Amino acid sequence: MAFDLGTPINTALLLYILYTVQRILLPSNALPKTVPNEFKGGYSWMPKSHPPTLLYQTYTPKTLEPFDGKEGKRILLAINGVVYDVTAGRNFYGPNGMYANFAGRDASRGMAKQSFETDMLTPIDQPLDKLEDLAPDEIENMRGWMEHFSSKYIVCGKLAENDAT
Amino acid sequence: MSLSDYIVTDDLTIILGLVAACLFLLHNLYRPQSLVHPILLGRQSDVARVRNPGESAVYRNYGTGMMGRFPVRPGKEQNVLLDLVKPDYDAPRTLWSTKITNPELREKVAAFGSGLISTAGLAPQESNVLLLLNDGIEFLISDLALASYSIPSFVLSSLSLLSPVLDSHPPSVIITHATFLSNLLELIYDSNDSAYPIIVVVGDVDDKVIATTGQISIVKWEEVERRGTQGSRLPFSTPDPQDVFSVTFSSSLPGRLQAVQLTHENLTAGVAATRNLLPLSSAMSTLDTIVSAFPMSSPYGRAVAYTAVYEGTSFATLSSTELMKREDKISSPLLDLQSINTLPIPSPTILFVKPTHLSAITSSILERARSSASLLYPFAWRHKFAAVLEGFLTKQSLWDRLVFDNARVNVMGRGAGTIRALVVSGGPVEAQSLVPARIALSIPVVNSHSHLLVAGPIFASHPLDLQTFPPVPPASGIASAADAYAFTYMAPVGPPSVNIEAKLLGVDDAAIESGADPRGALYVRGPTVGKILRGEDDSGEGSEDWVETGERAQVCPNGTFRVVPVTKSK
Repeated sequence: MAFDLGTPINTALLLYILYTVQRILLPSNALPKTVPNEFKGGYSWMPKSHPPTLLYQTYTPKTLEPFDGKEGKRILLAINGVVYDVTAGRNFYGPNGMYANFAGRDASRGMAKQSFETDMLTPIDQPLDKLEDLAPDEIENMRGWMEHFSSKYIVCGKLAENDAT
Repeated sequence: MSLSDYIVTDDLTIILGLVAACLFLLHNLYRPQSLVHPILLGRQSDVARVRNPGESAVYRNYGTGMMGRFPVRPGKEQNVLLDLVKPDYDAPRTLWSTKITNPELREKVAAFGSGLISTAGLAPQESNVLLLLNDGIEFLISDLALASYSIPSFVLSSLSLLSPVLDSHPPSVIITHATFLSNLLELIYDSNDSAYPIIVVVGDVDDKVIATTGQISIVKWEEVERRGTQGSRLPFSTPDPQDVFSVTFSSSLPGRLQAVQLTHENLTAGVAATRNLLPLSSAMSTLDTIVSAFPMSSPYGRAVAYTAVYEGTSFATLSSTELMKREDKISSPLLDLQSINTLPIPSPTILFVKPTHLSAITSSILERARSSASLLYPFAWRHKFAAVLEGFLTKQSLWDRLVFDNARVNVMGRGAGTIRALVVSGGPVEAQSLVPARIALSIPVVNSHSHLLVAGPIFASHPLDLQTFPPVPPASGIASAADAYAFTYMAPVGPPSVNIEAKLLGVDDAAIESGADPRGALYVRGPTVGKILRGEDDSGEGSEDWVETGERAQVCPNGTFRVVPVTKSK
């Protein structure tokens, strides 16, 4: 049934019309072979990965120290034995931040005395700071900071002594 | 031939060009819009940011959020069970076969409660009453009465538990049907107890049976009501929402009796959760009629029944919910569904059914459609399937009118036109059978998961979620073949319900850190979870309020769960 439509353009248009009509009348029922990872890729999509969750771990001063934000690592700091993940506050606690001294360290004394100097930090190989010589209002201040951190950042572990496993 | 000879145009070109342009627009722009935007389906649970080792993170419904409070009541004033019968709403509705208004129901509850207390001399919090009834208005009235006067009631999930319960927890009063009376009397005489319970009977008792009663006193239901109406009406006690109002006995393992305590708060939270199963735009209202395949003796069935009571809908349960079956016949799921046609309720609009009912309806509708409209059926199927793949489904399309509506009327009778939503739970649903079910019914089908311990749904899929995924076998590390089969082929049951939080125990930490789906034993917590009554050892388990469901589950990246069905489901 060859009919001469006069010009190649007409034939091309006719073919396109027939193809589109076929797609409209007989839609495809095929499920995509791979599930798309973006909602733009299809209606039945699945995100590539689960939302990130942190594992609650016990850190020691030595294992906490690497997490100071250098080379894109996470930033952790500890107050009164509770370890907080403060990676969201990279501006403050990252390598060039105002409070970069606290990254990867026990910041309890600094939080209590409201000071960011390095003499507030205990060296890593020494036992944890017992905070016995702090005045009650300094302890109060530290607890206030702990509440602030709990609501703003994530509690992701606890701090233990170096040799206790 | 030069180029200009190829691109010569004439009138036919213009016509064809216009037709092509129209078809192009039609094909590309006239696509059905998905009922819910797929971006919302990519994050259906809210996940905690920290997890303990060996456990998965805690998952909650995305609408509730990790910081949100669980809804424990459907409205501000619903604190205890009787508050679910709204006193200021007085339009009549049909509950099973009784047309009643809310004030009348409250009157009957007060009358029955006062009558029962004066007849049997019941003491609040100490006496117990066993409800040995099939679902009906009497069950509802006695349940509400006992709850309002702070008398804990017992219910059984199956008759085989009757003698163990009579032995271990003898009740002061038993309420039962006249047809079951002789069996009950036999059991009581056999148990050799010194104190016989008082029996309240619904229905007319045979004279022969009255002769065999001996020392056991039998009172008729109407008599108790009359005493309550004529005598002094006792004021309702004001129970605390945390008070236990009912204990459900079931047996997870043969021989082991398991008792679940339900408080008023469990049920009000269950009603709040069940209401949220349907989308807000088509929420339950007084115009609806709810039909449930779950007996009121199970916590989930009770939550569904009280949702109907709260919303002011008409309500009925299927004949398969009967505790004491009238005849020993095994009816098919379709006959079961048609059993409500004998009741004077309006045409059902919302169904709460089991997977067997769903598959029976689906297969018969598709069978009818295929046989009656055999030429158009393949086209109808193809178009509907393509629409489902785009996320769109409607009951008013051309194909429904041509092909499916007749089949639906043949199978479901008058329900075909009125049923607008269906919630399936109480068993596993295969992912492959969900799409034919959606196409056959073309209404929102909610795949939910319920459990013996929870007065409400644990998980429920989004009602407008039509996503279909090809079965993908899990990569590795599955302990049992049953788990692997379930995680591959079962349909996901959706995120946790609005007032449930769930976590998985016993997960593989290394696998999760490398991005695999968490898999483990399912633990839940929330205001709808009942407490298991442990014999004498009430050892300090108060702080550990995560309840083990005894099932295994897996979480997908979009926050939906897949639960392995338990081999023996009740």
